Amino acid sequence: MSAAHWLSASQIASAYAAKELSPVELVKALLERIGKLDPKLHAFIRLDAEGAMRAAEQATAEIAAGQSRGRLHGVPVGIKDIIDVAGLPTTGHSKILVDNVAKADAAVIQKLRAAGAIVMGKLSTHEFAIGGPSFDLPFPPARNPWNPDHHPGGSSSGSGAGVAAGLFPLALGTDTGGSVRNPASACGIVGLKPTYGLVSRRGVFPLSFTLDHVGPLTRTVADNALLLDVIAGHDPADPGSAATQARGFGRFLDRGVRDLRIGFVRHFHERDLPAHPEVAAALEHVARVLEAEGAQVHTVTLPALTEFAGINRVILCSEAWSIHAPWLRERPGDYGQLARRRLLPGAFMTAGDYVGAQRRRGQVIAEVEDRLRDYDVLLCASSMDPSSRMDDPDETARTYPRQARTPFNVTGHPALAMMSGLTQAGLPVSVQFVGRYFDDATVLRVAAAYERATGWHKKKPPIG
Amino acid sequence: MIVERAAVDPIVIALAKAAGLEKALVQFPDDVAAAAAQALNNAGAVKVPTDPAAEPWPPMRAGIGL
Repeated sequence: MSAAHWLSASQIASAYAAKELSPVELVKALLERIGKLDPKLHAFIRLDAEGAMRAAEQATAEIAAGQSRGRLHGVPVGIKDIIDVAGLPTTGHSKILVDNVAKADAAVIQKLRAAGAIVMGKLSTHEFAIGGPSFDLPFPPARNPWNPDHHPGGSSSGSGAGVAAGLFPLALGTDTGGSVRNPASACGIVGLKPTYGLVSRRGVFPLSFTLDHVGPLTRTVADNALLLDVIAGHDPADPGSAATQARGFGRFLDRGVRDLRIGFVRHFHERDLPAHPEVAAALEHVARVLEAEGAQVHTVTLPALTEFAGINRVILCSEAWSIHAPWLRERPGDYGQLARRRLLPGAFMTAGDYVGAQRRRGQVIAEVEDRLRDYDVLLCASSMDPSSRMDDPDETARTYPRQARTPFNVTGHPALAMMSGLTQAGLPVSVQFVGRYFDDATVLRVAAAYERATGWHKKKPPIG
Repeated sequence: MIVERAAVDPIVIALAKAAGLEKALVQFPDDVAAAAAQALNNAGAVKVPTDPAAEPWPPMRAGIGL
């Protein structure tokens, strides 16, 4: 058996079944690792060691008594700190909410608890999932386990850093402009933004109602499907929740990609935002690997990234302003500068700007839908650059918007980012796969085939 | 040390006051000015449909359930 901290969720379940490991033993091992590594990674805002141990003791007793609750029973999970966990603070990594204690579990936490998962604590984020990485907040920003001098991506920074560092096997993040897929890309793991409406956002602090998604971050594709199976489902209390019974997201993982049609959106990284050479080379390699596995890969065209980004920003800023206006008016100094600068533009958007963006949104959705009538999955870049140094805010500001994730917040299609290689400097680079509405299973199928063919998931950051 | 700041455009000041941002204007005038410029850039990047029949994407609904 591998070291306990590198086990996947499915390996953990097998180890429990074989009585080679118990939830108490696993949580103790992870708490020890967190104690050793988190002082330099800052993945946690609030570690709930006592709550995790109590849950581990309960899971150990239940499993010993043969009362299995499923494949996540006794499996630890970290939670981004804009998702409510009853009794723990939901701060949004902000001074504004530093004393805010959640009264109830978010819908996704209720589902995780019902499945027997163990909540380890609350994780670093960019302030309100938009303002970071920042050093003027109540908690330090998370750092990248591949090189702690580098940014781990965001806004689900602690989720990405903690999963990649082996602090927990699973994490939840949120994604409004790419915030699950960015840390997955920077930290060399798997991050899925599910189809809009597939996962309830009840109990999640909103950033932008029509762009927000909750999604899983994991070290393997199979674990991603497993976690999605648990958190997906219709929730009448979430106005954006879809009336879908879609389940079994891992049912195609072993099928490979033979005869699948994959559209390669090359202009995103070749023309719209020319990518770092190592990112571009890795993307070409992904296409060759999938062709070698039997897929048909053809170049396709979508609207330009600048268009998607403009639509995303107008909608995001307008909706976020309607949430943050009272605090921006009365407590502007309690925001970090990045969040303040990224939220204030909403004050200057007009109703016409917002409706115009939503009208154009309908058109770009139709264009992506057209491509997805001909292709099962789209392949494209996620980040155009390896992650920047934490002490270089100019480079972070330059590289942060150089990405191809926002298009699929605008359209709502499922989109997954995963590792596609390492740079010569030892930093992960990434690829993104995008699928049809509610066909998250086929996105995961392609990702699983790529993972099997390349084995990038076996690479671990050099942190012990 | 007194830091000289570029004067904020009077139109931006008027819009910011209309939005209730008096405190931000006093404490963070550069952030307010940068936000106004950002808003203009973002809105200008959207090709709003010229077809009057092009309706907005229905918020809170993507595709249909299976």
